[in-house]
Amino acid sequence: MAAATEQENPLLEGLSLRRTPDPFAMVIFGASGDLTHKKLMPALYALLLRRLLPARFAIVGVARTDGDDGSFRADMEQAVRRHARDEFRQDVWDELAAALHYVPTDFSDEAGEDRLKERVQQIDDEKGLDGNRVYYLAVPPVAYPTIVEALGKRRTHEGWARLIVEKPFGHDLASAKALNTMLLEHFEEQEIFRIDHYLGKETVQNMLALRFANGIFEPIWNRQFIDHVQITVAESIGIEGRAGYYEAAGAIRDIFQNHLLQLLALTAMEPPIDFSSESVRNEKVKVLKSIHTPGPKSVVRGQYGRGFVEGEEVPAYREEQGVAPDSMTETYVAAKLYVDNWRWADTPFYVRMGKRLARRETTIAIQFKRAPHPPFEETASEGLRPNVLLVHVQPDEGVSLAIGAKVPGQGMTIRTVHMDFLYGGAFRTAMPEAYERLILDTVLGDGTLFTRADEVEEQWLLVDAIVSAWQRDRPGFPNYAAGTWGPPSADDLLHRDGRSWRRH
Amino acid sequence: MSAPVGIEAWTAEDVHAADVDTALARLRAASAPAGAAPNLRTSVMTHLAWVPEEWLDKARAALAGMAEAHPSRTVLLVPEPDSGKDRVDATVTVETYMLPGVDRAVCTEVIELRLEGMRAKAPASVVQPLLVSDLPVFLRWRGEPPWGAPELDQLVGVVDRLIVDSTEWDDLPFPYRHLAELFPRTAVSDIAWARTSRWRRLLASLWPAVGDVGTIRVHGTAAQAWLLLGWLRSRLGRDDIELEHVEAERLEGIDLDGEPAPFPPGDPPSPSDVLSDELDRFGRDPVYEAAVLAVAE
Repeated sequence: MAAATEQENPLLEGLSLRRTPDPFAMVIFGASGDLTHKKLMPALYALLLRRLLPARFAIVGVARTDGDDGSFRADMEQAVRRHARDEFRQDVWDELAAALHYVPTDFSDEAGEDRLKERVQQIDDEKGLDGNRVYYLAVPPVAYPTIVEALGKRRTHEGWARLIVEKPFGHDLASAKALNTMLLEHFEEQEIFRIDHYLGKETVQNMLALRFANGIFEPIWNRQFIDHVQITVAESIGIEGRAGYYEAAGAIRDIFQNHLLQLLALTAMEPPIDFSSESVRNEKVKVLKSIHTPGPKSVVRGQYGRGFVEGEEVPAYREEQGVAPDSMTETYVAAKLYVDNWRWADTPFYVRMGKRLARRETTIAIQFKRAPHPPFEETASEGLRPNVLLVHVQPDEGVSLAIGAKVPGQGMTIRTVHMDFLYGGAFRTAMPEAYERLILDTVLGDGTLFTRADEVEEQWLLVDAIVSAWQRDRPGFPNYAAGTWGPPSADDLLHRDGRSWRRH
Repeated sequence: MSAPVGIEAWTAEDVHAADVDTALARLRAASAPAGAAPNLRTSVMTHLAWVPEEWLDKARAALAGMAEAHPSRTVLLVPEPDSGKDRVDATVTVETYMLPGVDRAVCTEVIELRLEGMRAKAPASVVQPLLVSDLPVFLRWRGEPPWGAPELDQLVGVVDRLIVDSTEWDDLPFPYRHLAELFPRTAVSDIAWARTSRWRRLLASLWPAVGDVGTIRVHGTAAQAWLLLGWLRSRLGRDDIELEHVEAERLEGIDLDGEPAPFPPGDPPSPSDVLSDELDRFGRDPVYEAAVLAVAE
């Protein structure tokens, strides 16, 4: 009856109504950690500032650290002051602070879990949150089973429940499957939101807009017109004190398994029938299934030695604190991948990612085939390179198209110039942080920008195949200097095909 | 909002469009550091503004808050039909804003043209050479347009959207009749209407009780009062709803049959933000048109 009344409401016509989330309580496990301080709380502040949260909500921080609501609020105020992208507004903060609560407990303590449930229920009763819950696992993966099982045992069927799981989602196919199985014992697939924060970035979403909102690109987005694709996820920073994690993960689990394969999937996917979460993820998983397992010669790994980054001498990976002096962990991976389907057959996707590279940059470069017969003298077009559509994911968010243009003057000399569309140049509204979008989508129940179980498993299938081949040899690490673009063998990977990595 | 990092300006009397184009190119080049690549010129529209002298300060203030959000070419047309001269004087300004997180800057262009004598009667012919090709053209008309006058007629013919603020008009609701005559020719935005959006959303949330309202008392401008009445009448299909208007500079409250409606959440938007939002709209607004027609007839 209520729904029928809403449909008939003639006053709603023409009003740009945002979907308003239901009231909810978000329980953050790992509330004393970096993620909560640097990302989650600033994101919640930004959402509240923009009136994107419902009138009734609560955030319950959970961690082992002793504390109470007052100390948690004071700690989070500092986090918001330091890390929020907006100016600090006392009235907004006061509203957010009133919604913050803290429960100190050990995740493995059954009595503590009972106390947590009672406290959240008490807050729900006071605020009228209708039993809706978001559980955010901002903790190391080793704690997932304990927390999820505790949550599952105490689940009620009042309201909805959503579980946000941070990467890494497993460390190989078997562990990812085990994790999926464990999660699915307690939550439905549509209740599980696996975060890959890259998908929350505006420019990554813009890839979908670029491809499917512009009639000029899709007809040439295939093997007939595209020579190859290069995807680069380069970081200039090192491991930033995360040796424990990185030693076990390496570049292939840290970046390749998730961010990079997601960028590839968005680049190569077929047009979805609509923008619903299932349609988009169905198309992405088809791409992941189509990726041909690369042979050993098509994958290069590297590890950085000492070098210079922005003029500063930086240590080798093996000299970083907490890293084994004979570590064989890769900090760089490059690969030649093929998507074996009708659209992309025989079109290589060259991908590379690494730490301590020359600069921070995430780009997707679509290199088109050369003009078949340029009618100019050879010397006139020496400076002409193939057309490249370059999607800058970060920094310099935007798109540029490399085209040939005549150099002004009496002769006919052609040079490559760039037509730049800088996101910030056309849309001057500040771009939201990825976590703002992803948290809002979670409370709205929209899983489009999250990774589904079958996507994760397809990604691990590929990674496992690559890693298993690595067991058979022992490369001479370090093999590239910090501040360069990776090992020479990565250049050879393209040179063998008569191509080269994009110049920077 | 950040301040421009550079401003280059050029002023001249008795100019032609080619002079303005030349000045713009020179100013854009001058706005970049010596030897560096020219600054980006990313336009998303041409923004025309018809600004009689008495509105000039307010127009410049709104523009100052908007230029950064909407990189565009803005042409301010200041009519001076009685100046005794017959020429166009121009002040051309290129403002440079840094892009966040990037070592690049973007230019916005403001062309202020004083249309003297007969030139004020043929404004479309003055501005057409200055429109950025293939981009939408928005016309902000300050004050009440001179209904039926050639300058309005001509400019409506070259723009995609006319933006007015009926708060600036006298003798409401009568001018809405004239405005309604423009609906078939161009999309129309009304700042006064935009400023009621928070309240319309709130009133919609009171459905179905609000459907039986007999009298609406609006504490706000006359334009907001009439437009809210027109909206309720047109949406509810009832012309028996009565209006009581309590004059206020901004929309401060609404009573439904004597009962105050709750205050909508959030802060009211700034003038620049309201104009910015209108510049993001493209199609006609049938709900607004119906509201205007409901009180104009």
